[in-house]
Parts: sequence; C-alpha cells; structure tokens
Amino acid sequence: MQANGLEASSIDHKPPPPADNRGKHRILAELKRLDQEARFLEEELEELEKTERVSAALQELLLIVESTPDPLLPVTNAPANPSWDRWFEGPQDLHGCKCWIL
Amino acid sequence: MSVAELKERHIAATATVNALRERLKQRRQALLDTDVAGYARSHGKTAICFGSTDLVCCRTLQGHTGKVYSLDWTLERNRIVSASQDGRLIVWNALTSQKTHAIKLHCAWVMTCAFAPNGQSVACGGLDSACSIFNLNSQVDRDGNIPISRILTGHKGYVSSCQFVPDQETRLITSSGDQTCVLWDVTTGQRISVFGGEFPSGHTTDVLSVSINSSNSNMFVSGSCDATARLWDTRIASRAVRTYHGHEGDVNAVKFFPDGQRFGTGSNDGTCRLFDMRTGHQLQIYSQQHGNNDNDVPIATSIAFSISGRLLFAGYSNGDCYAWDTLVAEVVLNLGSLQNSHEGRISCLGLSADGSALCTGSWDKNLKIWAFGGHRRVI
Repeated sequence: MQANGLEASSIDHKPPPPADNRGKHRILAELKRLDQEARFLEEELEELEKTERVSAALQELLLIVESTPDPLLPVTNAPANPSWDRWFEGPQDLHGCKCWIL
Repeated sequence: MSVAELKERHIAATATVNALRERLKQRRQALLDTDVAGYARSHGKTAICFGSTDLVCCRTLQGHTGKVYSLDWTLERNRIVSASQDGRLIVWNALTSQKTHAIKLHCAWVMTCAFAPNGQSVACGGLDSACSIFNLNSQVDRDGNIPISRILTGHKGYVSSCQFVPDQETRLITSSGDQTCVLWDVTTGQRISVFGGEFPSGHTTDVLSVSINSSNSNMFVSGSCDATARLWDTRIASRAVRTYHGHEGDVNAVKFFPDGQRFGTGSNDGTCRLFDMRTGHQLQIYSQQHGNNDNDVPIATSIAFSISGRLLFAGYSNGDCYAWDTLVAEVVLNLGSLQNSHEGRISCLGLSADGSALCTGSWDKNLKIWAFGGHRRVI
C-alpha cells in the first residue's frame, strides 16, 4: 500500500510485524462470525413472518394443563392414584435418619 | 485488505447485526398480542386456592454437613441423589428418609448431580471441569468408598449441570462454564457432540443449566450467563435451533414444561418466564413487585413444574419458594413461609416422577419433601 505523496521505491518493503497479521486473522474470524450471525438472523426474520401470534398457541396450553391429573392440586381431574398419598401413610418419622455423614 | 479496512468492515457488520436484532425484537413484540395470564383471565380462569395445611413438609432429609447444591429424583419415584458443599453425594430413599449411599467425591467442589434412567448410576460434576459416574452397585473400596466407574473429561471450564438422556442409559448432557454443552457416551467416555464454543449461535459466556425434552429427547434447552436460553437438536451441533431473549440477567435454571412444547426459565433478574419452544415467543413473565432498590430483588435459583404444568415452583436466594399458578401468573403459595420450611437459600428443587412430591434442597444443609396432605377433590 502506498502512503500519500511517496514514491513506491521509498516505501519500506519489510514484511509487517507478526502482531499485525495476528490482528488481521482475529478481525477476519470475527467478521466471518458476524456475517454468519447476520445470515441466521435474516433466516429467523423470514421464519417470523410466517409465525402466528402468541394467542394462537394458548388454547392448547390451557387444555393440556386443565386435563392432566395433578397430585399437588386441591382440585384435579380423575383418575387419582392412591399411591399419591404414600407420603402420609404408615409410621411417619418426620425427622427420619439423622446420622451425619462425616 | 488492510487492517484498517477490515476494521471498517467489522464496524459495518456489527451495525448490520444490531439492526437485524432490533428488527427481530420489534417483529416479535408485534406478535405478542397477549400473554398466558391475559388469555386465561379472559376465559374465566382464577387462581388455585390452597388451604394453609394443603401442601406440607412431610420429610426432612438430614445428613449433609454443607450447603446442598443439587438434587435429582429417580424415575421409579422414591429415591433422590443430592450433592453438597461437603464434597459428598447422598442417595436417599425419600419415603423412609434412609440414606442408602454416601459417596465421597475426589473433588469436593461439586455443583450438579443426576440419576441415570435405570437408577443404578449417578453422575456429578463441578469445578474439576469433569463429570464423574458412579455405579451404585459397585463394591466399595477399602476405604468404604464407591469407586468412580467413568470420568468424562474434556470441558475447559466448570460443569454446572448434567442430565442423563431419558430413554438412553448411556448418554448424558452437560453444561459448562466453558460456554458449551456436551453430549457424552457414558460407556466410552467420549464426547459425541459439542454445542456452542467456536461455532456461532452458541452461548457467549458460561452455560449454567440444561433440560432435556422428555417428549423428544433429541431436543434440549440451555440457560446461560449471557441472559439467553437456547434450544439445541442433538443431531445438529453446528448451530442452536433457536435463541430466546427476554431475561435481563443470568439464566440460572431451565426446565421443560411437562408436554415438551414449552419451557420455563429462572434468572438473576428475579423473574421466571415461560417460552414457546417452537415459535420462540415469550408467553409469560412470573415476577413479583419489589422495592425500588434493584439490589433487593431475590434471584430465582431453581424451577420445576408440577406434572400438569399448572404450578411452577421457583426457589429464590432469600429462602422463598413460590408456587406460581402458571395460568394466571399469581403466587398461590410460599413454601418458604410455611411451617418447618428451610432456613436458607433454596438452591435446587425437583418433582418426583409421578408428581406427588416436591423435593427442595437448601443452603441450610437439608432437603425437604413436600406433598399434598389436605382434602383433594377429584373431578
């Protein structure tokens, strides 16, 4: 590369110091990463054009939540499973095994 | 091309990417015509009503001598493995409170543990940057310790989370401080795939949590300090399927919704969120009002859904453990304020396989089991 106003012959033709090349490689790698990210973002934008609004998916969500039996709820759909209550059956030692692992 | 020209191109490329991100954000915002709570309320849904003695602490598992950091249930309902600052894993029968195994770890700085699908092995990982596998049926060595049966090495940073692939005994996924997740073959100890790292669309800083989709075990989601969650297909390591934005702080916890179509997140920004896996939409924010001082907002450390998805349990740094009604986005119970609750931060929690019990682990060194002890109406 010629500096302004200088003859070619007066330019120092020594190769650039290694630090410059490393800097170049780093920036090139970064550029590649940014270009790829831009492509991924464009793909996502295109996909979003065909994506439905939030409300479209919510009916299904409500349906599945309200139809699945859940042992932790005070009111729940059948069938209940008797084993849900095993935590309260039999002799209950609330503090159980107290040995300390040393 | 000179360095100066390259730098100019870099500035232009960065501007392009930022502009695209902004367009994406706005387009997505335009599609958010409602959230779950808005929709549910407009369809007449009201909050779950718990009596004061409905959810009770029915077991306290004592034995660790340090903070509990992680826990996992077996698939066959009653056993739990826990990992603690005391450098040990303990395997518990949660029903009887008995300890069946106590495993002294080579590296005391454990952060995560998991049960294998068949309940015969446990895995753990932490600051040693490796994941150790123990077979619970192994003969103990002369010191009475269970020997390591396999060690998975290759991560260049701490192992923050691990989970066995549900229908494959021999595969495990880890997340790491080295910004990647890895799928391992446990029998050979080899890495099958690395997700993120030098490839673009990976996390840009530490990954803190993983959750595998139980409806489709090829898919898993990861949460990171870069404030995003990312969806991965184990068959395509080269790029994330989708990135989910919204959180304003580290995503400490991710967990798939029971039907595998959505997932929840918990974050340092104090909120939990529900995302739609397929569309990428943020469906709901679960957030409490706090005082003006941002420093007071407790961080969400851990989350789990009840088996129907109606309840989202979230553990926080101040010892609270909220049960959120996921449909109306209200806190319906605070386990942290009940009798016999933990005395410190809730660091981990998980539901038993049949959904009948919640286990919480805490910095108070204990684990607790919570179950429904009230009158249940079955309709």
